[in-house]
Amino acid sequence: MEEYAREPCPWRIVDDCGGAFTMGTIGGGIFQALKGFRNSPVGVNHRLRGSLTAVKTRAPQLGGSFAVWGGLFSMIDCSMVQVRGKEDPWNPITSGALTGAILAARNGPVAMAGSAVMGGVLLALIEGAGILLTRFASAQFPSGPVFAEDAAQGPVAQLPPSPFGDHRQYQ
Amino acid sequence: MICTFLRAVRCTEKLHRSSGKRLFLPQLMLNKAGLQTEPNLRWRLQEQRKMVRPKCILGVTQKNIWTQGQSPPRAEEDSGKQVSVHRSQSGETVISTSQKVKEAGRDFTYLIVVLVGITITGGLFYTIFRELFSSSSPNKIYGKALEKCRSHPEVISVFGEPVKGYGEATRRGRRQHVSFVEYVKDGLKHMRVKFYIQGPEPGKQGTVHLEVKEVRARQEAVARSSELRAHRGQSDASYGFVFLFSQNPESGEYEFRYIFVELEPYSRRTIIVEDNRS
Repeated sequence: MEEYAREPCPWRIVDDCGGAFTMGTIGGGIFQALKGFRNSPVGVNHRLRGSLTAVKTRAPQLGGSFAVWGGLFSMIDCSMVQVRGKEDPWNPITSGALTGAILAARNGPVAMAGSAVMGGVLLALIEGAGILLTRFASAQFPSGPVFAEDAAQGPVAQLPPSPFGDHRQYQ
Repeated sequence: MICTFLRAVRCTEKLHRSSGKRLFLPQLMLNKAGLQTEPNLRWRLQEQRKMVRPKCILGVTQKNIWTQGQSPPRAEEDSGKQVSVHRSQSGETVISTSQKVKEAGRDFTYLIVVLVGITITGGLFYTIFRELFSSSSPNKIYGKALEKCRSHPEVISVFGEPVKGYGEATRRGRRQHVSFVEYVKDGLKHMRVKFYIQGPEPGKQGTVHLEVKEVRARQEAVARSSELRAHRGQSDASYGFVFLFSQNPESGEYEFRYIFVELEPYSRRTIIVEDNRS
């Protein structure tokens, strides 16, 4: 597909930032709507107005902070890919830690370290979940049969293409 | 002067103690009980506090005696009220059996939820640690193979420096997962990994295929190499693989059987980085 033929990396930042903003706004909107509904005086009109006010005030703030987190994370991730030259699960974990550290920079070095640990742990969990999901999803397909011995025809040895066709296990 | 000073100190001490006691307890107990007298009491206490403090600081003796004279009965009355309130409260709060059962059930469900959460978190941590730190994970093998490819002169001449590697693209565009297949052959685990490399040369993308095999235990390896040498003299077929059976348990280490780079999907050219098949 054409869109996968181009490099994901710089465009991924905008993608992630926008996705994070959407998540934050929608989730924050629902949460603040319920909260505003509950913390309003009795009467449906009051409650609806209260919930609308809460949504208008707080949901963009939450969306904004999510967007900052997502954008910064993706930027650091792409920078690490560029510097290291390979795409690894290490990149998101380190990016998460650095993002947590940078966003807690106002509160001093100890808070930065704690926030870095939290960010790294969170991203490690997400990566682990991603790995598990892809492995289980691909294990639903029949696993690869025992391969026939590949031809040893000298320097131009090639694998038969069919075993890789459908029985691929994604990590 | 000293007398007034001492009295002022004593007064502030008593004030702190009594006001602390009086203000803390009523708000707790009476808030819980929700008595009507609470606002009155609080107003009275605050008024007293406001009244008493500046007089203590000023150290006027008559007013000190007045406030000291006034506060103990007040305190007794309040503590009496508090005691009676407390008693009635504790008398009323006998937990019935059904409530105990409900609470126990609630605690139990919370415990179950906590355990489930810990299990899931532990599983995720185990997965990610095994993926990143175990030497038999596809990621580590991909890393080692990428290093070998990077230092291979032919690869450098085709792709330029530096060479970057990546795996399969997921929907979001992240390409960290390499595709791999594991299979067992003759009691040993084999793994085939496929990833892509790309260099600064525009438009050139290569696919790296590699296979690793689990290494047998050490004493078998020596026997294996000698047997291989013996066999090579005798074999003539193009399928020149010799598989030896080993009863020993595997060591968990992997060695490369082959690594080669395929350029262009139409297999115009293949770079062999390593070939240990025969």
